[in-house]
Amino acid sequence: MAQTRLGRAENRAGWAFVMPALVLVGIFMIYPILWSLWMSLQTGRGMTTSFGGLANIQRLFADPIFLTALSNTMIFLAIQVPIMIMLALVFAVMLNDPKTKFRGLFRTAIFLPAVTSLVAYSILFKSIFSNDGLATTIVTFFGGPEISWLGEPFWAKVVIILAITWRWTGYNMIFYLAALQNIDRSIYEAARIDGVPARAQFFRITIPMLKPVILFTTIISTIGTLQLFDEVQNITQGGPSNATLTLSQYIFNLTFRFMPSYGYAATVSYVIVVLVAVLSVIQFWIARDRK
Amino acid sequence: MTTAFRRTLIASTALGLVAGAAAAQELTVWAWDPNFNGAAMEAAAAAYQEMGNPDFTLDYQEFAREEIEQKLQTQLAAGTMDGLPDIVLIEDYSAQKFLLSFPGAFEPLTDVIDYSGFADYKVALASVDGETYAMPFDSGVTGLFYRSDLIEEAGYTAEDMQDLTWDEFIEIGEAVTEATGTPMISLDINDPGLFVVMLQSTGSWFFNEDGSLNIEGNPDFRAAMADYQEILQSDMWTQVNSWADYQASLAGDVASTVSGVWITGTIKAADMSGQWAVAPIPRVAEAENGTNYSNLGGSSWYVLASSDDKELAFDFLTSVWGSDVEFYNQILVDQGAVGSLLASREGDAYQEADAYFGGQEVWQDFSSWLGQVPAVDYGIFTYEVRSAIASNIPAIADGADLDEAISSIAAEAAVLTQ
Amino acid sequence: MSDVAAHRLDPEAAEPSARAALRGPDGPGRDMIGPAVKYIVLSLAAFVSVFPFFWMLVGTTNSSYDIVRGKAWFGDQLLVNLGNLIEQVDLPRVLFNSFYIAIISTVATLLVSSLAGYAFEIFRHKWRERIFAALLLMLSIPFAALMVPLFVMMASAGLINTYSAIILPTIANIFIIFYFRQATKAFPHELRDAAKIDGLKEWQIFLRVYMPVMRSTYAAATIIVFTLTWNNYLWPLIVLQTNDMKTMVLTISSLNSAYTPDFGVIMVATVITTLPTLIIFFLLQRLFVQGMLGSVK
Repeated sequence: MAQTRLGRAENRAGWAFVMPALVLVGIFMIYPILWSLWMSLQTGRGMTTSFGGLANIQRLFADPIFLTALSNTMIFLAIQVPIMIMLALVFAVMLNDPKTKFRGLFRTAIFLPAVTSLVAYSILFKSIFSNDGLATTIVTFFGGPEISWLGEPFWAKVVIILAITWRWTGYNMIFYLAALQNIDRSIYEAARIDGVPARAQFFRITIPMLKPVILFTTIISTIGTLQLFDEVQNITQGGPSNATLTLSQYIFNLTFRFMPSYGYAATVSYVIVVLVAVLSVIQFWIARDRK
Repeated sequence: MTTAFRRTLIASTALGLVAGAAAAQELTVWAWDPNFNGAAMEAAAAAYQEMGNPDFTLDYQEFAREEIEQKLQTQLAAGTMDGLPDIVLIEDYSAQKFLLSFPGAFEPLTDVIDYSGFADYKVALASVDGETYAMPFDSGVTGLFYRSDLIEEAGYTAEDMQDLTWDEFIEIGEAVTEATGTPMISLDINDPGLFVVMLQSTGSWFFNEDGSLNIEGNPDFRAAMADYQEILQSDMWTQVNSWADYQASLAGDVASTVSGVWITGTIKAADMSGQWAVAPIPRVAEAENGTNYSNLGGSSWYVLASSDDKELAFDFLTSVWGSDVEFYNQILVDQGAVGSLLASREGDAYQEADAYFGGQEVWQDFSSWLGQVPAVDYGIFTYEVRSAIASNIPAIADGADLDEAISSIAAEAAVLTQ
Repeated sequence: MSDVAAHRLDPEAAEPSARAALRGPDGPGRDMIGPAVKYIVLSLAAFVSVFPFFWMLVGTTNSSYDIVRGKAWFGDQLLVNLGNLIEQVDLPRVLFNSFYIAIISTVATLLVSSLAGYAFEIFRHKWRERIFAALLLMLSIPFAALMVPLFVMMASAGLINTYSAIILPTIANIFIIFYFRQATKAFPHELRDAAKIDGLKEWQIFLRVYMPVMRSTYAAATIIVFTLTWNNYLWPLIVLQTNDMKTMVLTISSLNSAYTPDFGVIMVATVITTLPTLIIFFLLQRLFVQGMLGSVK
């Protein structure tokens, strides 16, 4: 009897504690996302829209700019996320080694980019990679060719990838460091006694032990990259010639720069939702326990 | 949603009345480029104060042009006008888009302004269904600005620069680049502005009269694109990546540029007096009605329907921008702004020779070219088509087949303007 | 699991060097890469990470012309740049906007989201896991998909160009709810039971027991949320309309897209934008590391 009353009181407290968050999520996420779904079925320009059914989805496949934005986004994702995750893992493992000196200093330095504003660091990168800018000065100093970093489609993509990697590697590293410190060192002790080489330890102990965190950071990074906006908007504005245009930016353009096409913009934004869902499932599947 | 929209409108109107009573003599204005549009607006405010309105104050708010368009579009689309100013500057290319997309958002000025005193083409750009909505401001009449000293160094004279075709221009450009080591022009491959200038000089545009696309099968478009491709494939240009880079390149890095008259201020900002001259732009020889005159940019002032004090806005615009020739003289001298008030052409400043341009009477020249700019209707999708062109420029520069490139532009434009 | 968690509250146990001292110098990085290579890699990474900060500081002292041409040493234009910035931007106003939005958002987000995260871990209910899973799914919703409906909602509520419009949608932060739920796994249930025996109500337990015990978690969350809201760009760009409502981030973005951007001025503004998050990070750094340790399994 006492137990049930207590249970009921807990129940009430539980609901009361989560309610503010749930209400806010309901108002500011669920309602707009459903509205957005409804909008994606509308066609037309500006304020004059009509029900179009799946017309917007058909439009997607015939839209070369959408396809460009999609492929740019996927290129950023496929190249940048693995590089960043690998770097973050390597740094984390190095910094987790108690023998490493100045660990606090290195850790702080590598994490520092993560506190900068996306807009601020984008502008820094833009100025570093401007024509005749610092990057060009350095590359030509070492005998490299004079590159128009932001003027050539390939190099502009490289700059964006460099920029995101700079900003987020330290952030991800912190997650790995935290997780690494929770791995019981006696496992490594045992492995060492059994004569397992260090490289094998890394791949057979560290990576499997970190798998949940790696999965988590990969998914978070995937979501972040699929939503990429601030950097491209402030470094290249999607150029040159749409070479760095991302899906979020295309949505922004469809909504605020071109004649507003809300329905179609909503459809493109659902492409991101679907991509995140599909990629998350794939990532879970890859990281599943194979036993 | 409609009721909410109406409620907000009523609320904002009510609020507006209160605020209007409190600050009866203030107008908020949004524009871009503080040294040009902003400075001209400030000068206008000063002129208005001197006309017996000592309490008048101007709240000039500087934004980037894209920012203004985005903010207007966002608010108007959401059905509110809370945060909008009294007067806003809109570029001519975007005027029809705003007027047609958001009927009722801008105040018709047909009964307020005597439009017969303004350049016809400016009036047409701000008109929809017989109503005109703007105080016409600056013209973007184009010129070929060139470095007379470098041209001379390469063995050419001012005479050689007059009324060229693009083929001739490229020939001279390559010779100048080779002789002086200074590239003839700088181009931002993200910005098809030069092509847009070339197209308008033929009297053609992206759209037919009914608003449908006029890209594939448009002989003028093809002719202009052929010349444009030739430029891109020549060795006479250097690449810039932003508007800022482009402006910087004019201070000694290039031998010429094709731009609107408003670039004069930037050119004169460098310390190169006597080294510059202006000629009409080259013409697209293959186009049936190719001319040496075109337009780039230019914009006009619009009064928002939500303005607290429209009467004040009307009075301010008509008394200064609508008739004050002296004011136009002043902004011509100070900012290089060529207004579209026809009477201003009679002002003294327009007659003067400019030492910076080696004593050339540049304003007279621009005035006479202005009258010969082929008028086109920019329609509502200019930026969409520009975006479609921009994304095909690398292929065109790499020597893509012209007809394929044009098809590709047309396909992208068709999707964007769907 | 839970004894590891309890362990973690003990700062000694969380300090790996202490553990390492007992167990000898073994770790996952051992022998894998030669020490020289390791230090070269780390130094290079640290240099690359810090260099843009140096570049930013140098930039504040140079003219725009020098900056875009890659001058990487200090000049004498600092006062000129600062003067130009003050002339172009109403700094006190803009800073007030940024601080106001970031502080209110951070406090509200920490409160609402930690309350939810705590409840999701502590209270059992048949719907718990399902609701939580639904929330996690919503992490994948891109902001781009929400912005137009959100804008129209804000417009009908008359909130365009207000602080509320910026703050309200950020308060229920799913990532932070998730983070607090994870961290709460390390919260010792005995403390809660003891508090209940003492007759404390649920909200009192939360305020007087949970919050103080979890202060390092709150510190880490403060850094994350403050950085997030201070740096928020896309939504304020859409919803804030006038210059007197602009935040620092919007200001540097405007300066950057201005008709003739002055990079000297931009660099000064960038430093001002970066300083608050940097200072908060350094103030809370110690707690931050502990907080992160508690949050990840």
